[in-house]
Amino acid sequence: MDEAQRQKFTEIMFEYIHDGIVVLDRDYRIITVNKSIEKWISVPYTELMQSDCRTIFHENSCICPHCAAEVTFSCGEVNTVSQKVSCDGKASYVELSTYPVHNDNGEVVECVVVIHDITERMICHDEILRLYNEVTQTKEYLESIIEQSADAIVTSDLNGIIMSWNKGAERIYGFAKEEAIGKFLPFVPEFLIDPEWEHNQRVRGGEVLRRIETLRRKKDGTIITVSLTLSPIKNAAGEVIGISGISRDISEVKGVEKELVRRNQELSRLFFISSAMRGTLDLHRLLKMVLTAVTMGDGLGFNRAILFLADEKRQVLKGAMGVGPSSYEEAYHIWDRLSVERKTLHDIMHEIEVGPYTNDSTFDKFILDMELPLSDETILTRTVKEMKQFNIQDVNAEPLSDRILMQKVGTQAYATVPLISRDKVLGVLWVDNYFNRKPITEEDMRFLTAFSNHVASAIENARLFEQVILTEQELENIFESISDMVIFVSEDYVVRNINKAVSKRLGKTHEEIIGRKCYEVLHGMNGPWSECPHKKTMERRAAYVEEVEDSYLGGTFITSSSPIFDINGTFIGTVNVFSDITELKTLRERVIRSERMAALGEVAARVAHEIRNPLVSLGGFARRLEKKLDGNLKEYADIIEKEVGRLEGILSEILSFVKETRVLKEMIDPHRLIDDILTLVKPDIDEKNITLVRESGEAGILYVDPNRMREALLNILKNAIQAVQNNGTITVKTYVKDNACVFEIADTGSGIQEADLPFIFDPFFTTKKLGTGLGLTITHRIVEEHKGNITVESKTGTGTTFRISVPYSEENNKVERKEG
Amino acid sequence: MSDMKILVVDDDLHIQRLYKEEFQDDGYEVVVASNGKEALEMFEKENPDIVTLDILLPDMDGIHILRQIKEKNPKIPVIMSTAYDYRDDFAVWASEAYIVKSSDLEELKAMIKKLLAK
Repeated sequence: MDEAQRQKFTEIMFEYIHDGIVVLDRDYRIITVNKSIEKWISVPYTELMQSDCRTIFHENSCICPHCAAEVTFSCGEVNTVSQKVSCDGKASYVELSTYPVHNDNGEVVECVVVIHDITERMICHDEILRLYNEVTQTKEYLESIIEQSADAIVTSDLNGIIMSWNKGAERIYGFAKEEAIGKFLPFVPEFLIDPEWEHNQRVRGGEVLRRIETLRRKKDGTIITVSLTLSPIKNAAGEVIGISGISRDISEVKGVEKELVRRNQELSRLFFISSAMRGTLDLHRLLKMVLTAVTMGDGLGFNRAILFLADEKRQVLKGAMGVGPSSYEEAYHIWDRLSVERKTLHDIMHEIEVGPYTNDSTFDKFILDMELPLSDETILTRTVKEMKQFNIQDVNAEPLSDRILMQKVGTQAYATVPLISRDKVLGVLWVDNYFNRKPITEEDMRFLTAFSNHVASAIENARLFEQVILTEQELENIFESISDMVIFVSEDYVVRNINKAVSKRLGKTHEEIIGRKCYEVLHGMNGPWSECPHKKTMERRAAYVEEVEDSYLGGTFITSSSPIFDINGTFIGTVNVFSDITELKTLRERVIRSERMAALGEVAARVAHEIRNPLVSLGGFARRLEKKLDGNLKEYADIIEKEVGRLEGILSEILSFVKETRVLKEMIDPHRLIDDILTLVKPDIDEKNITLVRESGEAGILYVDPNRMREALLNILKNAIQAVQNNGTITVKTYVKDNACVFEIADTGSGIQEADLPFIFDPFFTTKKLGTGLGLTITHRIVEEHKGNITVESKTGTGTTFRISVPYSEENNKVERKEG
Repeated sequence: MSDMKILVVDDDLHIQRLYKEEFQDDGYEVVVASNGKEALEMFEKENPDIVTLDILLPDMDGIHILRQIKEKNPKIPVIMSTAYDYRDDFAVWASEAYIVKSSDLEELKAMIKKLLAK
């Protein structure tokens, strides 16, 4: 290359090179500069010529060519410096290389500064450095993890030869690093080599096996449980070259786990026992379940258990039940039998709950009559008073041991827990291990306490239930024995419940009544009864009491109907009490009548004495006068005599009504009775031209007072004769109905005003001008004396029918049988 | 007509007289008493053949008198003659007859005649 070419080449290089080039003289004046410098300075390169590099670059750029040049100017050597440039928040790096230009004297007169952008290189470098540091750190970290790990971390080659062995492995397996490395899996027990090899094959295939639970053998031969994770070790090409195994000793965890399982079983047993107990509300069965649960191996596993219940009133602890063998022989037999029968707690509980209740334990008999005064200071009483559990390990060392109990059952060590429900001690649960002498542990006590809480609430429930049952039975008994009819009717008129009185009255079974509409079954109707007390109560939503006549039930009733609401206050029906007051009403009427009679009787007796005597004298002397007089005077005397006779007749009628007449009964033929009476009234019948119709049906033989009955019937017949007009008809019938002889006397007379009907049997009630008003009263009384019944039907203008029915009495039947 | 003697015991003097006159008309000898004491004295003294006896008397009741009369002479017929019918109240009377007083004395007279004829 000649000079010109070199010149040309240099110029081109100078012009196009990416690096910036600045040439400075010793005064740092810029002699020349290329265009590439504009990358680092905001001034056009042409304007840089001849300017002071220090000033212009300091003002317009982040790089300092003059600083790099300084060294070269002073020592004449090539200098290279790197500078960090921060432009617009972006970091970049430059490398400044300064080259000296010597004059002929060898002095450095100029300096060429080449500015090269090394940003990319620098970034790469930084990254590499960072990565290196990171790797170093990670390595250290991993190494320390591996080293410090509590887990055993072991690597092996594909043949199972140990490559690495950390401290964890030393600790867990007991082999030192030196003892393990280079050996074939020293920790795998021989019996597990095959399965281990299968794992090995899978990991070789690239699989990671996580948390395999397996066994390992320690150096000392102990077998431990480990949780193992096996992963493949790969080279850069991704080929599996070894296996890493991380294993953790979980023997202890396993132990804890077992403990947890045991606790869990205990809890579920507790839960089972308590739920079984809650299902039983029979106190005796419950107590048996409790004590069986306490003494069964499947349960709490104590040898014997006693339940004491506190009697608050008498201030004693009473032995309620004891479960357990009473001797070693019995204990042996029981355990032997249990092991043969293999009954679970579940089976036994079920047996107690549903099987026949037996109380065959001899041990129990020791307990039953035991009473310990609460005033004594012993462990049992303290359990109650202090609400505390006690675990007496040695009864001889405990001065407060329960001597009486020990004399009875004998024990060396026992424990007691209070049964507390709602802050009240219901009793004490006593347990011991008399036969196997197993000490009672804290664990046992904890379980026992937990158990006792369930027991207490179950006992409380059972007791409450017993009370409820008793009360319910009492109520049921009362309900059933009420002689009044009690009927529970729901809103839809359906009978929901009744007592015995109802089925007795209706002559139907309980089943035939329940579920049917009340109006159908009680009143024989197709729709609600107009007088229905249930209906009235429903309408008013309030209790309702009323006296009603019910022809279907046949009587007069006081009905008391009360609404029933459920707990939400919803009306659900009514309870109706029907008290049959028919008899009461009759009695009441009779009382009223006899009160009236009594008052009347007093009057009558006075009348008898005060009036009859003067009447007798009056009439008697009038008769004497009449015999001795003539003409008008004789007639006057006769009038006096007749009037006195009439007065005496009225007086007799009144008195016979008031009098308590003795009934002199005899057997009579009703037909003959009627015929006798008809003979008596025949003149009157003929006189009024009355048609007499006589219908004599089957009438049997009556046991009555013929005179009284004659009087009774005569009164009615007389009334009939008086009531009918001339040419009227009187019908007299005799027939049998409902084991009674009925005398029916019907007339076609004027009838009785409806308003008068209720009073016709009252004394002194009369519609006739000439009447004492006692006829029907006397008739009524005579019929009543014969336990008979009198009814009247009457319609004004049509006529009146009286029916007297007289029951055939037992004497009557006896006689009839005799005769028959 | 007859020598029979009737003792009429009644505190009502009109009735006493009525009975006395009626019975005398029929030919009986009649003695009267107005109270229990008098009745027993007359019975002792007069030795009647028949007695008509009221029950309500001022000093003692007729039943008391009847018993004493019957003690003295069980065979004497006594007719209880009362204003009020007490027959059912005193069922076991030892009287031969019973009658409720009436202004018509025919029944009583028939009764006396019948009893005295025995």
